[in-house]
Amino acid sequence: MRVLAPAARYPATTIGAVFCLLIVAGALLAPWIAPFDPNDQNIIDRLQPPGGAYLFGTDSFGRDVLSRILWGARISLLVAVTSIAAAILVGGTIGMVSGYVGGQFDLIVMQTMDVLLSFPSLILGLIVVALLGPDLINLVFAIALTAIAPFARIARAPVLSLKERAFVEAGRALGFSHTRILFVHILPNILSEVLVMGSLWMATAVRTEASLSFIGLGVKPPTPTWGGMMRDGFENILDAPWLSIWPGLAILMLVLGLNMIGDGLRDATDPRLRGES
Amino acid sequence: MIFYIIRRLLAAIPTLLAVLTLVFVIVRIVPGDPAIAILGDRATPEGIAALHAKLGLDKPIWQQYVEFLTQSLSGDFGRSMVTGRSILSDVSAVLPHTIDLTVASLLVGAVVGVPVGIWAALHRNRFIDYAARLLSLIGLSFPVFVSGIFILMVFALHWRLFPVIGSANLSDPLDRLNKLVLPAATLGLVMAAYITRVTRSAMLSVMGEDYIRTARAKGIPWRRVVWRHGLRNAAMPVVTVVGLYIGILIGNSVLTEIVFNRPGLGKIIVGALNQRDYTMLQGLMVIYCFLIVVVNLITDLTYGLIDPRVKQA
Amino acid sequence: MLNRAMFLASALALAAPALAQPKTALNIGMAAQDIGQLDPHFAVSTIDRTPAAWMFNGLVRFAPGSTDPATLEPDLAEKWESSPDGKTWTFHLRHGVQFHGGFGEMTADDVVFSLKKAGDAKTSAFASELRPFQTIEAVDPYTVRLVLTNNVPSVLGILTNYAQGFIVSKKAVEQRGDDFKRNPIGTGPFAFVSVTPNQALELAANESYFRGAPKIKKISYRFIPSDASRDLAFQNGELDLNYGRADQAWVNRTKAQPHTIVDVFAPAELAVLHINTTVKPFDDIRVRQAVAYAINRPEIVRWRGGDVSREGAGVIPRGYLGFTADTGLPSNNIEKARTLLKDAGYPDGITVKMVQTQLPEMLTAAQVFQAQLKRAGINLDMQVVEHATYHQQIRQDLSPIVYYSAARFPVADIYLTQFYHSRSIVKTPTAVTNFSHCDVADAEIDAARGETDRAKQLALWAEAQKKIVAQVCAVPMFETLQVYARHDSVDYGYKLEGSMALGPMITEATHFK
Repeated sequence: MRVLAPAARYPATTIGAVFCLLIVAGALLAPWIAPFDPNDQNIIDRLQPPGGAYLFGTDSFGRDVLSRILWGARISLLVAVTSIAAAILVGGTIGMVSGYVGGQFDLIVMQTMDVLLSFPSLILGLIVVALLGPDLINLVFAIALTAIAPFARIARAPVLSLKERAFVEAGRALGFSHTRILFVHILPNILSEVLVMGSLWMATAVRTEASLSFIGLGVKPPTPTWGGMMRDGFENILDAPWLSIWPGLAILMLVLGLNMIGDGLRDATDPRLRGES
Repeated sequence: MIFYIIRRLLAAIPTLLAVLTLVFVIVRIVPGDPAIAILGDRATPEGIAALHAKLGLDKPIWQQYVEFLTQSLSGDFGRSMVTGRSILSDVSAVLPHTIDLTVASLLVGAVVGVPVGIWAALHRNRFIDYAARLLSLIGLSFPVFVSGIFILMVFALHWRLFPVIGSANLSDPLDRLNKLVLPAATLGLVMAAYITRVTRSAMLSVMGEDYIRTARAKGIPWRRVVWRHGLRNAAMPVVTVVGLYIGILIGNSVLTEIVFNRPGLGKIIVGALNQRDYTMLQGLMVIYCFLIVVVNLITDLTYGLIDPRVKQA
Repeated sequence: MLNRAMFLASALALAAPALAQPKTALNIGMAAQDIGQLDPHFAVSTIDRTPAAWMFNGLVRFAPGSTDPATLEPDLAEKWESSPDGKTWTFHLRHGVQFHGGFGEMTADDVVFSLKKAGDAKTSAFASELRPFQTIEAVDPYTVRLVLTNNVPSVLGILTNYAQGFIVSKKAVEQRGDDFKRNPIGTGPFAFVSVTPNQALELAANESYFRGAPKIKKISYRFIPSDASRDLAFQNGELDLNYGRADQAWVNRTKAQPHTIVDVFAPAELAVLHINTTVKPFDDIRVRQAVAYAINRPEIVRWRGGDVSREGAGVIPRGYLGFTADTGLPSNNIEKARTLLKDAGYPDGITVKMVQTQLPEMLTAAQVFQAQLKRAGINLDMQVVEHATYHQQIRQDLSPIVYYSAARFPVADIYLTQFYHSRSIVKTPTAVTNFSHCDVADAEIDAARGETDRAKQLALWAEAQKKIVAQVCAVPMFETLQVYARHDSVDYGYKLEGSMALGPMITEATHFK
């Protein structure tokens, strides 16, 4: 990948990657490294401060916070990856097709995307999840919906300029199908930008998921989620401040990590910035 | 200019119609009956039927749709199904709070973000720059409810400098300001992070342009080059992005309102969702769309002021 | 120098009255987004019921601070009598009671109008409560006569300052129409002033209140959904009364604060698992028994806290007239639960769907018993939905197991009829809240209702409760009391032990010390 090599030179990217890898590792290894079952309640030991048997303390049900953080990483990552992958797929297709077809069709599609884009994503997610019910699938759907528009825009812009270029013309002359031209010739050209936006939007997705869970519209209990843990922490903030500190730090670490990667990738791919430092 | 505004407004009508229809449909296909939300514990088949008749929910769907459209388009957003209060009056009662918060956090964001962004750009790749970039990245990675809770704990509870309940008495400017400080700081820090980044990169790209080099070559003092040419040309992308971020701001204001107990549009939406208040939800969506159109319009008009050529990419 | 002196003088002048006189403005924090219904006959939620009781009166009332029917005393009615057969009741109204906002004197017309309004499903959520009355009529401006179709356990209970019993101004309802629910008119110690959406309900003292002008002049009932924010506001002195959390940690922390009193009071809401006895796997009584053995009441109470909760002792809340603790309720025994499941043909346990509200206080408790059932091999697959959807879906029989928490008028008849009588089975025309399709105690419940011999009546009710427990229509879990925190300068003017309004009554005597 020609994007990744120069990106690695940016310290921000490296640090971000380390943050993300740590969390991915925690999520993957949760069944082995989590000291307790994340849903196992021990009412006697509720609201224990950090230290001792419970490294990060326990919540209001007497569940181990560290174990829930580790397992909660799975939900955050799962929601972020699937929703953004869906958004890239759907948004990218919409953008490419719209740009490729052009004309009135393009105009209408892009106007719809503008409306979608200008609608505050948290409000949109809030309405969708509240109405469809708090559920993993609905959550992914809601977040994907908010992220479709930007990817449609990214995918469309290069298509507009590329479709007049020589190799596309040549392809058409050779009788290649539209689909083939779109995917074989245009896709590779926008990949780097999609990667940059993808990591930045994944950061947004993690935050949106946490925010929705915080409002009380997350994955159903007892599944641990960081946003849900923050909510629990907020409600118990006077009794057990650590409950909100750990998930808060976890969210911060993942979002910051993804943003750093995105930033580094952007610096590495932006021709105006490249080679100046 | 007036013609341009009218054209923009007309262009928003089909969008508004589409959104209205979509809202009407979404709100009705989902489970959850407002009559039951109202009756709660006491819902009996008899009571539900009686309430349906009273709320007009027993009418055919198309009739409800036509009534909804004609009313919305004539500027009548209707009444809340639950409280029976006028939606417009409910919204106008909380709108000042939302506007206060939005404007104040934009202001905080600009006052902090623009100078820091410029400073960082002028000291590119030096310590200042790295620090500004890292801090702004952390700032925009911090979920508002995390930073909000922290700020609340420190300033309202520990030091008791500000009140915990953010619902201000609108006719008392001092009270209004007092209760705005913490929420505006919370949201303002996020905005500051965004604005710092945009300003920095806008300045960097402008300062690399030929005319700046020419100006410097001509011996114009550095400070003047920055102020005269650099800033003016960097303002455009900053305004664009700030316009875009108003959406983020409105979204994040829901969380701020929850943490600081401020009244506002976000809290009304959450309430309407919980109560299955169809009419309220519909009215709010229409008003939201209207607000967004207005914000976009203002952003566009600001371009015109900064750059008379108004070239839109 | 002169200026400074003047400034100081004026500052002192401003501060002085605040020091000299006790406060008269009461700030109350409530866990709510907003007020729902101001029409008292639609006030169903805790949020709406509490202020309704400050603004309205009934013909009779519970003595302030009590929910014991034995304390019922005159409110708008001065005295009353009933015919020897107990079917005709005559109420003599208090003279000179004025409605808020110059709506004139309260007369028999208003009482008849209010009770008819409360008995009509179009204008009231409590219509079924007034069904026992055949006629409601005004004899003269100060006399109301009510005739019953059948005997009921407590006629006065229907006419208290609670739900269907509130008296509204006929003139105001007729004049304001739909606007009445935004601008209600009653006779209570406090009158409606305004609602600021999402923020507060403002009430002002009714200076011409028939028991005398209230000492509190202004009530601000503020909507603060987050427990933590409300607590912070209370600690900061921004609230004088605070809706509390039925949780031991909360009680302990709040009690430890200076100048703070925690009031725990009746009624207790009984949380029950209603099990649908007609669907698989619960049509097998052994599976229902397994659920009963899996529930660990002492553990739930330990989680909730002993100050604010207690174990459910039967299928109706304890303390209700007719309650019996002698029902042979099974206690926690995981082994037995597993054996019962195995005997019923489920050696690997079962997984059942449960529709569950996302209302935080119920969702947290649900997670506790979910974990308990899991230990016995009963997996609850919670379908978490928003609260209105929950109310809807459980009434459509969509949840084989229903977690429901309720308090009713403290007489066994109402709770038993609504939850365990076959007439109340959900998805039938006469449905109320019988989620278990229980029908084993119909005869006893019906017989007890019309029984005039109190001893026989109590025996019938006790028998009904035993049968329901034996058939495991429902598994009682825990009772939760109402909790409020109060700044110690607030004196209610009575001893708060209970409130049917689910929040403290603010009476004419309530004041700041």
